[in-house]
Amino acid sequence: MIVAERKPMDEIVAMLAPHRKVLVLGCGGCVTVCLTGGEKQAELLAGQLRLAARQAGRTLEAAFDCITRQCEREFFDNLTEDPRTYDAVLSIACGAGVQYMSELYPEVPILPGMNTTFLASNVAGGVWEEYCRGCGDCVLAWTGGICPITQCSKSLINGTCGGTNNGKCEVNPEMECGWLRIYERLKALGQLDNYRTLRAARDHRKDRGGGVRRLVLKDMAESQESGNE
Amino acid sequence: MDELTSGELKRLGDSRMLMQREWSPCRYHCPVHADVRSYIELAARGRWREAIDVIRERLPFASVCGRVCHHPCEANCRRAGVDEAVAIREVKRFVSEQQGASGATVRRVVQDKAPVAIVGAGPAGMAAALDLALLGYRPTVFEKFAVAGGIPATAIPPYRLPRDVLQQDIDWICAHGVTVVTGVEIGKDKTLADLKSEGFAAIVIATGLALSRTLPIPGANHERVYPVLDFLTAVCSDRAPRIGSDVVVIGGGNVAMDAARTAVRLGATRVRAMCLEAEDEMPAWDWERSEAAEEGVGFIHRRGPTDIVIRDGRIVAVAARKVTRVFDADHRFDPRYDDADVVSVECDTVIMAIGQTADMGFLAGSPLAKDTRGRLTYDSATHQTSDPSIFACGEIVTAPGSVVEACASGQRAAKGVDLFLSGKPIRLADALPPVIGEMAPDTAAKVSKSPRNAVLQRAADERRRDSLPIDANFTADAAMHEAQRCMGCGGGAEVLIDKCAACLTCLRVCPFDIPVVTDVARIESSLCQACGMCIVECPANAIVSRSWDTREEIGNTAARLAGAGAGPKVVAYINGYHAPAAAWGASAEDALPGVLEVWLPSVSRLGVAEMLRAIENGADGIVVVAGYLGGDRYPTVRERMARRVEQLRAMLGEIGMNPERIQLVHCADEGRDAMRRAIVEATGKIAAC
Repeated sequence: MIVAERKPMDEIVAMLAPHRKVLVLGCGGCVTVCLTGGEKQAELLAGQLRLAARQAGRTLEAAFDCITRQCEREFFDNLTEDPRTYDAVLSIACGAGVQYMSELYPEVPILPGMNTTFLASNVAGGVWEEYCRGCGDCVLAWTGGICPITQCSKSLINGTCGGTNNGKCEVNPEMECGWLRIYERLKALGQLDNYRTLRAARDHRKDRGGGVRRLVLKDMAESQESGNE
Repeated sequence: MDELTSGELKRLGDSRMLMQREWSPCRYHCPVHADVRSYIELAARGRWREAIDVIRERLPFASVCGRVCHHPCEANCRRAGVDEAVAIREVKRFVSEQQGASGATVRRVVQDKAPVAIVGAGPAGMAAALDLALLGYRPTVFEKFAVAGGIPATAIPPYRLPRDVLQQDIDWICAHGVTVVTGVEIGKDKTLADLKSEGFAAIVIATGLALSRTLPIPGANHERVYPVLDFLTAVCSDRAPRIGSDVVVIGGGNVAMDAARTAVRLGATRVRAMCLEAEDEMPAWDWERSEAAEEGVGFIHRRGPTDIVIRDGRIVAVAARKVTRVFDADHRFDPRYDDADVVSVECDTVIMAIGQTADMGFLAGSPLAKDTRGRLTYDSATHQTSDPSIFACGEIVTAPGSVVEACASGQRAAKGVDLFLSGKPIRLADALPPVIGEMAPDTAAKVSKSPRNAVLQRAADERRRDSLPIDANFTADAAMHEAQRCMGCGGGAEVLIDKCAACLTCLRVCPFDIPVVTDVARIESSLCQACGMCIVECPANAIVSRSWDTREEIGNTAARLAGAGAGPKVVAYINGYHAPAAAWGASAEDALPGVLEVWLPSVSRLGVAEMLRAIENGADGIVVVAGYLGGDRYPTVRERMARRVEQLRAMLGEIGMNPERIQLVHCADEGRDAMRRAIVEATGKIAAC
C-alpha cells in the first residue's frame, strides 16, 4: 500500500491562504488504511483549519468529504460535495489522487495535503515501513525475499559495500545493513550461490529513467477517449 | 441480517433505527416488547422522565409490572452470562413510581372515532382501551368491582402491590380519554345487547379468570373453606374474612403463596400449603415459595385432599392421600394416588387455591357461541368471537398468565378492533425482528464483573406482621448503577460496508477481540459489547452506533456553549460510571462557574472530533474526567483516552493554540468532591493559557 503523511500545518495554511472556501477531501484507499487521509482525518483537518483561520483572524469555510478512491474516475460520482462550488480542494489522498483529480476538475485548484512517502507494509499497529520502491524490475527471487533497492541505502545489487558496521549501515546507523540481512537469509535458505552471482547493471528505464510508466492490459483496455466520455 | 451501507443508513434517517433491525433479548421476550434496552440506557444516565415515557410507550401497567412482573426480560438477560441479570424490574419500579401518573407524558389524540365498550378493567381490558383511545376511538370500560385494575386491584395482596402504585397506572391510562365505569356487571346490570343498543360499535370482552376452582370433596362448602379469589378480594377490599388460627391452603401455585402469606398476616398461628407437587415440581416461583417459607408458611408436599373433616360444625382437619405421581411421562398433569396412605392434617380454616376459571355471567341473554367445554368461542387470529363486532382478550381466552401478557393480548385485540371498524380485513402482524444470539463464553469472560444491586427486603419476622411492602424501592443511586450494568446488547457497532477500508483498526482497538476483517470488517452483534471504541477510532467513519452516540452531544454542547454567555467556558467530559445519580442531574447550584459538564456512561466513545468541535464552538478548553486504571467500565479506555488527548493537544499546538487547553484528569472514581477539585485545578491551567 501507499503511505502518505500529512504536510506540516504551516505549509497547508500557507497553501490555503488565498482561499475562503475549501473542501478537504479524504480518500478511502491506502491513506485510510494508514490512518492519515480517510474521512475521519478529513473531518479533523477541516476543523483544525477553521480554528487556525479563526486564530489568525480570518474566516475560512472548510467542509470535508471522502470517496472510495481518488485514483478512479467513477468514484468521483459519489462525492456529496461539488468541488466546483469551492475555491480550492485540499486532497489528502496520495499524489496520484491529487493529480488525477486535477485532471478531472481543471477549473478548481486541487492542493496536496499530504506528502506521499513510500510503498509499505504494516509492521505493527500504527506502524508502517517501506518495503518496495516500485523499481519495475523485481529482484526478490535471488535476494531471499529482501529488497536491496529498498533495504540498502545505496540500492546496490551486488552488496555488501564496505560501509557495513556491525550489521548497521554507514549512511544511517539506525538502519540494519540490508545486504547483511540478505546474506543471512540466503545462508539460511542454502542459496548462497545467489549471493555469489554477479548481477548486471540494472535497466533504469524500467524505473524512473524512462518517463511516465503505464500499464495497458490489452484484454481490458478501453481507449482513453471513450473512457473520458 | 443484511449488511448496512451508508445509503441504507440515510434512508433509515437515524442510526437509532438500527436497533429495529435486531432486538435485544429483553425486548424480544417481553410480551409487549417494551424497549427495555432504551429505557435502561436512559435510567443509566438519570434521565428518568424520558425513561418512563419509553416504558409506557408499550407498557401501560408500568408501575404494577415494576412490582409483580414475572420479568422474562431478566430471565433472558445476557448479563447472566457474565455475572447476574440486570434487575430490570427493580429499575422500572424505581422509574415508574418516582415519576408517578403525572410524571409520564400523556399523548392525547383527537378521539373522533366510534365508541367501544370494554368489559373488565383488568390489565387486558385497560391495555385495549388505552390503545383504542390512542387510535382515536372512545373507549368505555365496564367493571363489576368498585375499583378498576382487575386482579392487581382485587387479588394481589398489598404487601406485593400497594394500591397507590396500581392507581398510578390507572390514572395515567384514564388521562388518555379512557372512561371507566365501575360497579357495573355486564350480564347482570347490563347485557351485551344493551351495550350495542347504546351505540358501542364494538365490544371487547376482557373479564379474565374471575372465579376460583374448588374441589368437589366432602366439607368443601363449609363457611370456613374460602375460594382463594373470594379470600384475597375480601382482604384487598379491607373486608378481611374471619379465619382461624390454623390454616391450610390447598394449592402450590403463586396464588396459593399469596393466600398463605396473607393468612400469616391476618394472624394465623400456623399456615401450611398443601400441594400435589413435590418441592421442585411446584408451579409457584422459587422466590415466592422461599419468601413464604421465611414468613413461616409450612409445606405439605405430594398430598391430595379427599375430605374436609368437620366435627361439631367446625373444620378440624383435611384428610389427604398420598400422591404417587403428578405428571405422566409426557409431563402432562395426570396425578395418581395411593388411597391406602391417608393422613389427617389438622386445621380450622381451608383456602382453596387450585386455579381460576372464567365467570361466563357476561353472556346472559347473549347468543355468543361457546365450545364444547363451555369456553367462549374465539378466533385467536382476529380476537373475534362468534359475533364479529365482539372481541375477546386476556385470560378468558389465553392461558393463565401475568399482567404483562394480559396487556399484550389487550393491545393485539385493540388492533383487531381498529381494523374491523376501519372496514379492513383483520390481519395482525406478529412477526418480530430477529433476536440477538447468545454471547460466547470467552467474550463474557472479558466483561468487567459488576454485582447486581440488591433490593433491601424487610426481615421476615417484621414483614409478616403487616401488609406493608416487603421490600424497598431502589434509591436513585442504586437504580442508576443497576441500569449501568446493562451491556446495551445490540446497541453497539454497525459497519457501513461501502465505507469500510478493511484497515483493521477496529480489530486492533476492540478490547473484546470481536471484529473480524475479511473484505470488510464484520462485528457480530451478539458479541459486541457496545463500548464504541471502534466507532471513535475508525479512520473511515465507517462504523456507526446503533444506540447513543457521543456525536449527539456535539449539538447539545454547541447549544450550551452558545447559551453560556460571556466569560470563561470550559467543557468537562465526565465518565459518570462511578458518580452518584444527583451528580448526573448537574444541578445549577452544584455547577462550577464557567464549566459545562457533559456526563457520559464511559469516555470510550469520546473522540477527538467531538472535542475539537467543542473548542471550535467556543470552549476555551476541555477537561476530560476519566477513571484510574480499571476505572472505566471497559478495558483499555484509559490508555486510549490518553492517546486521544495527546492527539488533540498536538493538533492545537500545530495551529498555535496552547495544548494546555486540553486537560486529562483521572478521578472519575473518587467521588464528586475530588472531581470538582480536579476540574477547578484543570480549569485554572486552562485559564492561564
